[in-house]
Amino acid sequence: MLGDLGRPLAGRLLALVPVLFGITLLVFILNAVALGDPARAAMGQRADPEALERMRREYALDRPLPVQYVTWMGRVLRGDLGQSFREQRPVTEVIIERLPATIRLAVAATLISIVLGVAMGALAAVRPGSTLDHALMGAAVLGISTPVFWLGMMLSLVFAVNLGWLPVSGYGGGDPRYLVLPAFALGALHTGTVARMTRSSLLEVVRQDYMQTARAKGLSEPLVLAKHAFRNALIPIVTVIGIGLADLLVGAPLTETVFAWPGVGRLLVAAVSQRDLPVVMGAVMVFALVYVLGNLAVDLAYLVIDPRTRRGAS
Amino acid sequence: MSRIAAMVALAALAIASAVLAQPPRQGGTLRGVFNSDPPTLDPAAASDTTSSAVIRQVFDGLLELDEKLVPQAALAERWTVTGDQRIYTFTLRRGVKFHNGREVKAADVKYSFERAAKGKRPWVFEKITGARDYIKGTGSEIPGIRVVDDTAVEIRLDKPFAPFLHLMAYDAAAVVPREEVEKRGGNFASHPVGTGAFRFASWRRDDQVVLERFRDHFRGAPPLERVVFRIIPAEITRFNEYRAGQLDFTDIPTGHCQAAKADRELAGEVAIWPTLGTHGLRFNVEKPPFNDARLRKAVAHAIDPSIIVDRLLEGCVQAAQGILPPSLPGYAAGVKRLALDRELSKRLLAEAGFQGGRGLPAIAFNFNTSDANQRIAEVLQSQLKELGMTVELRRLDWAAHIKLVDDGNVSFFRQGWIADYPDPENFLTVLFHSRNVGAAGNTSRYRNPKLDRLFDEADTLAQPAARYARYAEAEQIILDDAVWISLYHYTSRALIKRSVKGLERTALSSAPEFLSPLRKVWLEK
Repeated sequence: MLGDLGRPLAGRLLALVPVLFGITLLVFILNAVALGDPARAAMGQRADPEALERMRREYALDRPLPVQYVTWMGRVLRGDLGQSFREQRPVTEVIIERLPATIRLAVAATLISIVLGVAMGALAAVRPGSTLDHALMGAAVLGISTPVFWLGMMLSLVFAVNLGWLPVSGYGGGDPRYLVLPAFALGALHTGTVARMTRSSLLEVVRQDYMQTARAKGLSEPLVLAKHAFRNALIPIVTVIGIGLADLLVGAPLTETVFAWPGVGRLLVAAVSQRDLPVVMGAVMVFALVYVLGNLAVDLAYLVIDPRTRRGAS
Repeated sequence: MSRIAAMVALAALAIASAVLAQPPRQGGTLRGVFNSDPPTLDPAAASDTTSSAVIRQVFDGLLELDEKLVPQAALAERWTVTGDQRIYTFTLRRGVKFHNGREVKAADVKYSFERAAKGKRPWVFEKITGARDYIKGTGSEIPGIRVVDDTAVEIRLDKPFAPFLHLMAYDAAAVVPREEVEKRGGNFASHPVGTGAFRFASWRRDDQVVLERFRDHFRGAPPLERVVFRIIPAEITRFNEYRAGQLDFTDIPTGHCQAAKADRELAGEVAIWPTLGTHGLRFNVEKPPFNDARLRKAVAHAIDPSIIVDRLLEGCVQAAQGILPPSLPGYAAGVKRLALDRELSKRLLAEAGFQGGRGLPAIAFNFNTSDANQRIAEVLQSQLKELGMTVELRRLDWAAHIKLVDDGNVSFFRQGWIADYPDPENFLTVLFHSRNVGAAGNTSRYRNPKLDRLFDEADTLAQPAARYARYAEAEQIILDDAVWISLYHYTSRALIKRSVKGLERTALSSAPEFLSPLRKVWLEK
């Protein structure tokens, strides 16, 4: 099967190159258009002219913008993302030490949204129009429309401050209890989307003729749903999960800020306000990579779920 | 009855004395918080208060400020100054050890100062003879710093500089061990080694910095076993952590000052004290329309800061008259801002050719993003509208705001100032001397020879009374010429658990970063 996948996989990976190039160029231009001098931002309220000049020289900020971009790109091609203006150390180091926290959070939030979303959607689809269906879909809409920032604060207030069940914020050296609230806050938005898509997909599939055939064969309803309906309903669900990566990436900086989670999202927010361009470019590249690779994984999942797509791919 | 009352009072006094006199309890972890990750823990590379809050615990300087902000001996056990106020000789304590066990020598002082002079705060050293050339890269050393022997270092200034001892107590002038800097290179910023009462233990970026007791500190081991600084960017999260008992101190969230005071659980833990900062409005005097002093004065006479102080900021800041905050040595109570007088404002506007604001183009007011700044700007907009002036609000993040301000591209803008050290020079000379036009501090681009002369005299005089009189005269000139309008003086608003003892609330400390020495802190519980 992987042999079938080689060419599309290579194609997708190659397509990543212009995407990343375009994104970095866009971010660089936006940063140039936005006002602000990185050297001045790094210097605090009292800036010494000599120190400002020295920093501009050290980081080539006194060079024309196109030269700065080409120099940066040249370094990137050699595997060097440059130096952080703020922390004055390699960007790769700055990002890598925060990446595991973001990955943990994103994976946990994705798992929560898949497990909860699929379960809610399936339960709602079993009895469409019932009170349970309305309640579950109501909860799904609430999840989609609640801002991550607000939900995070409420979860923290209820479960950490008032009930004292979980920590308010922080990383806790990897203690899983610290992951629960941020993962739920970040996963909530996507849980609703997955639940709604699961319900509508399942409802569409259960009306198909082959479902009647399965029932006519004497299979029980749960077995019909699990074996015949669910597999056929998976494609749109997997698509939504893939698209949901974008929601996770948008929500990560907010969630990481509310829960003081030491990830790349929070780093990006601080770097933008500090005009720490090398870090902004590095963090954006990481997010772009995650998004593109995530969608690639979704495409691969299609091939596993639906054999017909394999023929198309090869 | 009166005898019983007297006995009760005596007993209470005795108990209170016993409690007060009880020795600090040893051990425990103090849990503090920062609102952002410190960019560095290297004294030479720092330029922010978060970094300073850690650096002050890990390093020592020749001097340090006491709770009254007076320089006291630290690594130097004594010092002398020549009659012309130009040569300072510091004698080091013997036997002071770095965290790596090596003894501090006078050569470490010279090395540290020369290293830091090429860092982010060269202005701390620029008064030393030969420092300017060294900073520019045309000198190989700072000749004004001379190692006399292992325990004495002499520092020669180009000319007398009254606040020099404050600079020697500033964290940029912390003493570092050369071998550790050279061994670690860039990593020294994340693995600092000093002489301070706490040694560096660990730092997970954006999560927490951990320090632990240095048993061989020259003043003896501090009571606390560990200090943990959590890094929590959202103020409401810091507040929630405090309420959940996970922090020993934090700041009070914006807009919650009165609510915290009224809260039965928190009331006894609220601490508000004045700090060395002023929130002001500035004009670029080179840029129309505020190159016309009449227009600046019209604005100054029309603004009523009491609405901002009492309503917007809940009375939790200090109303301002002058530029210098009352907690700063040299504060002059007689210095007054232009009084609120809307009729006079209208007359001045008319004199400038804009009767009732007619013909005056819309004025942009620039400020950096924050809820408080936004609300203050709206009050100003509404107050100036009564005068017939149309004010457009321009809100930008700090990096963009300061760039426009430094480059002289805005005419009317918000600027706050917090003193780096407690001296009027750090306020007035920095902000208004003509040699500091632009990013160095004088963003009003104000050039007044009389003011320069007053500053030059005041900065060098040895007698405080004579110095302060000149600063007061200069301050009044600035206010009368409406170059700066003070709105209020900053305060620090903190919540501190009752179990935390010995945490100094000096005017230099602003929650959540306490710059005071944590070696004096102990936990009662």
